[in-house]
Amino acid sequence: MDQVIDLYLNDKAVKAKWEKFLLKLGLHNFSSREVANIDHTLGLVDDDGTLVGTGSIAGNVLKYIAVCNQNATPGSRFNQIVTALQQYQFNQKIFHNFVFTKAKYSASFQHLGFSELAHTDEAAFLESGTPDVQDFLKAIPRVTGQEQKKVAAIVMNANPFTLGHRKLVQLASQENDLVYVFVVATDASLFRTSERMQLVKAGTADLTNVIVVSGGDYLVSQATFPAYFLKTPDDLIITQTTIDARVFKNIIAPALMITRRYLGTEPFSHTTNFYNQSLTNELTPKVKVKVVQRFSNRDQIITATHVRQLIKDNQLDQIAPLVPQTTMAFINSQQHILQTRIKKGMNINGN
Amino acid sequence: MEIKTIGVAGTLESSDIQIMISQGSNGIQIDLDSEVIKAYGDQIKKVITDTLNRYGIDNAKVKATDKGALDCVIAARTLAAAQRATETTDKPELEVLQ
Repeated sequence: MDQVIDLYLNDKAVKAKWEKFLLKLGLHNFSSREVANIDHTLGLVDDDGTLVGTGSIAGNVLKYIAVCNQNATPGSRFNQIVTALQQYQFNQKIFHNFVFTKAKYSASFQHLGFSELAHTDEAAFLESGTPDVQDFLKAIPRVTGQEQKKVAAIVMNANPFTLGHRKLVQLASQENDLVYVFVVATDASLFRTSERMQLVKAGTADLTNVIVVSGGDYLVSQATFPAYFLKTPDDLIITQTTIDARVFKNIIAPALMITRRYLGTEPFSHTTNFYNQSLTNELTPKVKVKVVQRFSNRDQIITATHVRQLIKDNQLDQIAPLVPQTTMAFINSQQHILQTRIKKGMNINGN
Repeated sequence: MEIKTIGVAGTLESSDIQIMISQGSNGIQIDLDSEVIKAYGDQIKKVITDTLNRYGIDNAKVKATDKGALDCVIAARTLAAAQRATETTDKPELEVLQ
């Protein structure tokens, strides 16, 4: 009878054995950005103590799942390791999990109650548990007669909310009946998720046809699009941006009757450039993509990156022309907290 | 009986069923995944609903992933998940299983 055991990858010998097993089964990306965020790894060993299966957890994402089916009923080891991983998650009170896997394994996960959110030729993205994407969609406010209205969407990190963001929302607000602003939910930015939500709400409060909601796990989240938060090779970015775009096109947009998506050009971020390209390719013609030139103030392109740099350099007086008054007030009041976060190592060069 | 948290019981292994119960407001809503859904889907849902009703739960969202479990297993897993969801594992009411 196979047994589930804990594998501690910080033990070099264990890690070498684990890597060798995965290599044999065709998994070979052991870059530190993939391995470093693993919280826990389980192994499955047979009666002789040989490793015959493994799976890992990173937050609410299952990864590095592989089993050897030699001398076993097909599927049974896979079910055993996925059950064990879920049990581990349930004990941590995590009842909603994602898996990013090769497209050919999508069916195996679907047999275990996972539902597929999107796939490409190479990869598939699935979820299981509760609350799921339908619960997420149900909780988003609608307006009466929404199906007859022109509805647009913008997804932003707003780290922090600048005049550039404000102008983009304003433009969409003028050109549409209703605008959803989805704020990236993953907490990996200088400004915390709740702070970014608050700043976007405050900065758009006067625009009555704008609804600000959290992007949850489905719009540019750590689950759909980890590359957004970390430096990543291009082929991975392409796969992830495509998956993210398809989740939006196939699930989010139809449920909320969104027919347009607004994007800001991104002169400085390599990842965002890729993302804009993917969105344009994937969404049109079902959802019209409108790429809006970055707004400038006094010939200077407004970016949140620049604002964060000014906070770091303690040049708060130069921030005022770049952000709405609401964001400025917040930065003024939280100056020390923000600067402490930077000193403690919060990366300010990302998105 | 009030559902306070998410309760799970069971595994994804052969002959078992995994039941996940969370708050609902519209009766017992069951999202069932099973390879034998055509033949036994209604029966599986009935066992889950009956067990929950006997435990005093009238509103709940249930996700069930069945791997060919017998009725007695379905009832036991449902009861265990219900007790975890209602935080009543300290007072087992096994008579619910009949």
